[in-house]
Amino acid sequence: MSHVIELTDVHKTFGRKVLALRGVSMHVDQGQIFCLLGPNGAGKSTLVKILMTVIHASRLSGTMLGHPIGHKPTLRRVGYLPEHHRFPPYMTAEQALHYYGGLSHIRRPERVRRIAEKLDLVGMTAWRSHKVGTFSKGMQQRLGLAQALLADPELLLLDEPTDGVDPVGRREIRDLLHHLRREGRTILINSHILAELESICDQLAVVVKGRVAMEGTLEELTCGGLRWVVQWRGADVDSLAFEVEREGDLRTVSLPNASDEDVQAVIDAVRGAGGIVTSVQEFRESLEDLFMRALKDADDLDGAVPGAVQGKVSKAT
Amino acid sequence: MTSILAILRESWLSLRAEWLFKGVMGLNVLVIVAYASIGFDANGISLFYGLTHIESEFIYAGSPMSRTLYLGIYSAFIVNMWLAWAASILALISTSSIFPSFLSAGAVELVVSRPTRRSTIFFVKYAGGLLFVVLQVSVFTLGAFLAAGWRVDAWDPAIFLAIPIITLFYSYLFCVNVLVGVITRSTLIALLATLLFWFSSFSVRTADDIMSQFSYRLDATVERTEARVAELDEETSEAEAAGDELDAEDAAHWAVGPQAAMDRARKAQSQLAPWAAIISGVRTVLPETARTLGLLHRALERNTDTTLMDLMSGAAFDDEDEPPRKLSEEEEAQARHMEKEEEIPAWSIILKSLVFEAVILIVALIIFRRRDF
Repeated sequence: MSHVIELTDVHKTFGRKVLALRGVSMHVDQGQIFCLLGPNGAGKSTLVKILMTVIHASRLSGTMLGHPIGHKPTLRRVGYLPEHHRFPPYMTAEQALHYYGGLSHIRRPERVRRIAEKLDLVGMTAWRSHKVGTFSKGMQQRLGLAQALLADPELLLLDEPTDGVDPVGRREIRDLLHHLRREGRTILINSHILAELESICDQLAVVVKGRVAMEGTLEELTCGGLRWVVQWRGADVDSLAFEVEREGDLRTVSLPNASDEDVQAVIDAVRGAGGIVTSVQEFRESLEDLFMRALKDADDLDGAVPGAVQGKVSKAT
Repeated sequence: MTSILAILRESWLSLRAEWLFKGVMGLNVLVIVAYASIGFDANGISLFYGLTHIESEFIYAGSPMSRTLYLGIYSAFIVNMWLAWAASILALISTSSIFPSFLSAGAVELVVSRPTRRSTIFFVKYAGGLLFVVLQVSVFTLGAFLAAGWRVDAWDPAIFLAIPIITLFYSYLFCVNVLVGVITRSTLIALLATLLFWFSSFSVRTADDIMSQFSYRLDATVERTEARVAELDEETSEAEAAGDELDAEDAAHWAVGPQAAMDRARKAQSQLAPWAAIISGVRTVLPETARTLGLLHRALERNTDTTLMDLMSGAAFDDEDEPPRKLSEEEEAQARHMEKEEEIPAWSIILKSLVFEAVILIVALIIFRRRDF
């Protein structure tokens, strides 16, 4: 599978002290939905802005769609929805899309066709002639998606795409992202809403303190967190090598990274001791668990502050 | 080209949404209506479409002076007072927000993340800001052209020179506005800094003009006293040659005063020279706002025998058969100053100012290109 984005050792320092990115290396595969996670100030938006030439990296090596990062013509093939974007309030939805389409070098006849198509796709056709200044946050977000899709991009970078959108709208955006993936487009999403990402995410990276703390597919990253939970009533089983929680008559044992045989042995032991097994469940680590684990690991390494790091800049950066 | 058109269209839409743009356009129309209300008939000048009348034996319908007066009112008063001051301040208030709004968080990312180069975005956005003035002055100038044609039959296309000249003048200020806007991203600071710059350059220019006129006045004093001293020296020599000691003493006595005045003037000249050089040096690096505006005046008076200055000083009404009136030292200094100003070539005025503008814009562009948003 080819890499749509490939980054090696990306550094960004704001001023002399704020180390926003400290050697980020990662790759995004074609046709995947890639989720960029991290706490506030971890450097996620900075990374996306570097890809879109909004911010200049202090040090960078990498490519996007086969060209070096910062290659302006490549941006014709990329759609971008910034966080907290603001459209000119005096423009109508249609005029705003003509403006951004023009900046993306889309010729007028083509723009006219695509604007109608994208407004329809995000459910904003009825509002095409209304001033953007009168739009709600959710409507602005939909319009933002329309402008990001206007160039029919191969790669979409979405920074908090569901920010301010109601539950129905979120669902529609999720469906739209699935649809775009089926069309073969690659999508990089930067979001805080982990529960939403869990259902659409193919690949992910957790950025903490300007570094990639974890990277891989959701399956790869969560299989380390696989565990079985066995519950029973009645007898205590002294022979178990695991810690047993007691709550009245109910006993619970958690078996991290246990094989089917290990689970079967526990069940046999419980039944042998006269206990009644009430449930046997397999738990996979949630995205939230994974996220918290990544934070904890990073904290153990670097200290307790999850955001950007303040410190002296070395000559290398 | 597609992106350039997109930015220009966005500039037009933003101007159209500004109430100040519409307000200034309305005021432009009012000023033109007022200008067109001045007319001439066989007996003199009519005002307010004939409501009031001023009798004049020199200025009447068809007289060359009526044309000079009418075009002079346009170039010296309406352009200088309305377009160059009042309308420019309103334009600055209106356009000061262009760059700070464009660079505000959430808006700028949507633009600089496009395949269009930052330098293109910067320059087209800058041109979009000047669009305010171009459109306002175009409408205004068309009205003035029609009024001058109707009132004094002066269908002079030079009237349209106001469009590039006022735009140039405004661009000298707008570039400073853009630089401060790019650095601070604050509309208020950009506006105040531009007004401060304008006031400073106006002060430097005024100081330089005063210095220069004072210097010409001292020159005139020296020249006149030199001539008078030489005259008295000759009288003394003649009296001595004729053996008239009383006349010789008298002439020598009278020469003392002019000699002292000449010495004082020379001393003042030497004291003034370093200050004049400093002020002149500061003026050299600043754009020529007033001289640029003066180019329109020059263009409109190119084919007339009488100038607006002649009309205002009364020289235009002097009897041609009488010998020319001797000018006072102050008048002579002013005349010399005007003459020197007229001698400065238009290209030098424009080029010097454009160099200033280019330097300011390059600095602003470098900051804009390197900036993280």
